[in-house]
Amino acid sequence: MGLVFKNAVEKGIDVIMDMRYRLKGFLRKPHNVILLVVFIVLCYLTLVPMVTMVRDTFLVHTAEAKRLKLPANSYTLLHWKKVLVEASSLNVFYKPFLNSLATSLGACLIAIVFGGSFAWFITRTNMRWKGLLSSLCIFPYIMPSWTLALAWYNLFKNSLVGGAPGLISAIIGVETPNWLAYGPIPIALVTGLHYAPFAYIMIGGILRNMDANLEEAALMLNTSRFRIMYRITVPIVIPAVMSTFLLVFSSAMSSFAVPTFLGLPVRYQVLTTQLYRTLNGLNPGQGYAIALLMIILGVSILALNQKVVGLRKNYTTVTGKSSNIAMVNLKKMRTPTSIIIAAILLCVSILPLVSFAVESLILHPGDYSLGNFTTQFWFGTAAQNSMANSEPGMLRNPKLYSSLWNSLKLSIVCAVSAGTVGFLAGYAIVRGRGSKLADYVNNLAFFPYLMPSMAFSAIYLSMFAVQRGPIPPLYGTFALLVLAGTVKYLPFASRSGINAMFQLSKEIEEAGLILGVGWFKRMTRLVIPIQKSSFISGYLLPFTSCMRELSLFILLMTPNNQVLTTLLYYYNEKGWNQYSNGINLLIVLIVISINFIVNKVTGASIDKGIGG
Amino acid sequence: MAVDDLDMVIEDGSFITLLGPSGCGKTTTLRMIAGLETPTEGIITIDGKVVFSSEEQIDISPAKRDIGFLFQNYALWPHMTVYQNIAFGLENLKWDKEAVKTRVEELLKMLRITEFAGRYPAELSGGQQQRVAIARTLATKPKVLLMDEPLSNLDAKLRMEMRTELKRLHLETQSTFVYVTHDQLEAMTLSTRICLLNKGVLQQYDGPLGVYNYPTNRFVADFVGNPTINLIPFEVVSSQGKAIRVSNADMAFTFNAKTALNLKVADKVTIGVRPEFIAVDGQSTFKASVYSSLPSGMETIIRLRIGESFLNSVVFGSLDFPVGTGLGINLTGDKIMLFSNEGNILGSGSVSAIA
Repeated sequence: MGLVFKNAVEKGIDVIMDMRYRLKGFLRKPHNVILLVVFIVLCYLTLVPMVTMVRDTFLVHTAEAKRLKLPANSYTLLHWKKVLVEASSLNVFYKPFLNSLATSLGACLIAIVFGGSFAWFITRTNMRWKGLLSSLCIFPYIMPSWTLALAWYNLFKNSLVGGAPGLISAIIGVETPNWLAYGPIPIALVTGLHYAPFAYIMIGGILRNMDANLEEAALMLNTSRFRIMYRITVPIVIPAVMSTFLLVFSSAMSSFAVPTFLGLPVRYQVLTTQLYRTLNGLNPGQGYAIALLMIILGVSILALNQKVVGLRKNYTTVTGKSSNIAMVNLKKMRTPTSIIIAAILLCVSILPLVSFAVESLILHPGDYSLGNFTTQFWFGTAAQNSMANSEPGMLRNPKLYSSLWNSLKLSIVCAVSAGTVGFLAGYAIVRGRGSKLADYVNNLAFFPYLMPSMAFSAIYLSMFAVQRGPIPPLYGTFALLVLAGTVKYLPFASRSGINAMFQLSKEIEEAGLILGVGWFKRMTRLVIPIQKSSFISGYLLPFTSCMRELSLFILLMTPNNQVLTTLLYYYNEKGWNQYSNGINLLIVLIVISINFIVNKVTGASIDKGIGG
Repeated sequence: MAVDDLDMVIEDGSFITLLGPSGCGKTTTLRMIAGLETPTEGIITIDGKVVFSSEEQIDISPAKRDIGFLFQNYALWPHMTVYQNIAFGLENLKWDKEAVKTRVEELLKMLRITEFAGRYPAELSGGQQQRVAIARTLATKPKVLLMDEPLSNLDAKLRMEMRTELKRLHLETQSTFVYVTHDQLEAMTLSTRICLLNKGVLQQYDGPLGVYNYPTNRFVADFVGNPTINLIPFEVVSSQGKAIRVSNADMAFTFNAKTALNLKVADKVTIGVRPEFIAVDGQSTFKASVYSSLPSGMETIIRLRIGESFLNSVVFGSLDFPVGTGLGINLTGDKIMLFSNEGNILGSGSVSAIA
């Protein structure tokens, strides 16, 4: 008996020693340590909010208790019933859901058609001004999505909304029809154009790196150009198209500002506008239910994406062996085609900026005569702007400068934290490829992307309104914004980190390891310098996204603590067109300049971050 | 399992090759020695010191094993010049600037790349990059140098040149070289001992000529030697001591083994004959016809047809044979091999009384 016991104890000790040994070996590798830390932190910051949100869909909130005649903080199925099965569900959920679907699908179609064709023209024909036009193409993505919405609104609005008609109505003298000015068509169009650069980058990336031999082999067999296109080129491009489709679809479903500007005038509700109504108002329970349904949809889309495309195992971007396939010669159509494409791009990139400038300089809305132009909304003093409630001109407005400073501060801090964590996570995921832990961290890091920004911030607001362990209550603080922003942009930063690491063979690091170079030195002297531009792009993307982010911060702002985008929303609500247009112009100019400077100095750019 | 039950000793200063087809476990073995992969079970010692032991739970990091590693793709750091690439390891060891400079220049001279010191890897040809990689690996004077198919990315002529370079370096540095390749010619010409692997299992660990003339099994005999050995299936007709009579549909002869073998009638065996031991002469009564002839100037490879069987022969001198010519052939020498049905070597010997 004693012997059996002794054997069992010895075996137990063996097992423990073995585990300790394995753990030591496991933790010796830096990437495993990173994976573990990131895993734990992300679990807390993504799964806990999820669980809280699920719980909140069954909870009676204090705000609703009186109205529902139920005790506060008790559990109920009422929210779900109202969203899914009662008569009111039609307006609360199903109609907005269908509207979201319709506009998102429309946006996908437009993004892929525009982005894809542009990609094809740039990579496969001899059109003119390729360099200039391809940099111009990125613009719609750098600008906030509602920039185009606002521009569209400026151009096409009619007297339905009261106030003055838009520029087009004023020029042609006839009122623009409602279906063109507001509702699903402009929403889909504007969102689609905003994401067209995505499609251009992804589809263009595949087209550019495609081995020309594939098409040349068909050419040798006397296949017509058209057949080559649809039997060879298109099937190879399909994975990129699918990825784009799914990415754009997810983004379009969560967009808030565009449907707000272009949908509300005709009461066209989508899921996100419903969310804002419910979360900001007296129906938080219903809001969380809607948000949960949106997340389920997002996760299904992601799963579909994984299945269709899979985690790309081989991501060498440059093989260096393919020759340039003979470009389609546009001959006489060369200049006309180039001009048409240039015109479309200018309309989408430059024209909105012009319209903002114009609108910010007009005294009486709707009157586009020269005499009506003034600079008072920019440079004027409070006294001069009596019609705008004595709001000082923008460049003299302390509110503007404090919001600008807040925006920059927030974007830089979010960029630094999201970018750094994203890069480290990307490094660890690629080095730990194949292990379950790397898989979990990969999926967790991407998860925040699927949560609608508004629901995300609502949950964070409620989670961190009270003390949580060592973290003090964060209500109304800058730290809460940073936290929300960092986790929200982590998906992009980690994608960028993964792409950067995939391109780097592990032998580069191993050569250093064998020479006894420590981990930190390997990263700072070898890995990062070699992948410099991808590395910096991982910071640029969160920065740009943060500068133009509205839906994430709108619930977290306090009146004294604004960023530029929420200030714009505030002016828009008040109806002070000149200010909202002016700020819009400022945001766009700032973001574009910073992108330009970073690109010139470091070679980093957004498209390297997205991974084309 | 990538490598199964590997047990070998590499002598100091030797040049051993890990040879085998793709997927046989040679690169895995090399990386385990280096410490870049962790074995599931076993012990590895370098210079008497245990660097890995699953029993005692020792696993020393690659940096502390005093080894050098040459990667197949060189892994030169593209953002550093040739000089910086070579100096990096030394700077990391906190050598002072003068010492680093002296050592780097010494290596540049040894590898004959002095004029490229200020260039970046992308500006060099494959062969030059290769030499920079070698210089970088040799910089810290490691005791053991591990090389993972270093010449496979070079063209044929350059490969020949680099082979002689490596052999010379081996003598100069007096380090132990462990070399991975799938090219049997490289293994034969460079190593002091060859370690042949197949599907993770060690097949033979012997000097080049031992592997060539006395293979332990059919796989080894087939893998080494160019043109490949002729392996012909036979059935035993009679077995008396050292004389084994074998026959198949096209040929029959007596195999004279060096030691007595006890085979049973109707046993299936394989005869292995290297092409250089198939002599073509007019006198032999055993006839074959020429199926194809490949003259390469110094030697000619003839494919001979006997009934439904084919044999490869190599003849020296600038000879050519028209297709269809009838030739008398003979199996010469005493290094003809007899393999069992499972593929293991039964014995070697000569052949007589061919019919």
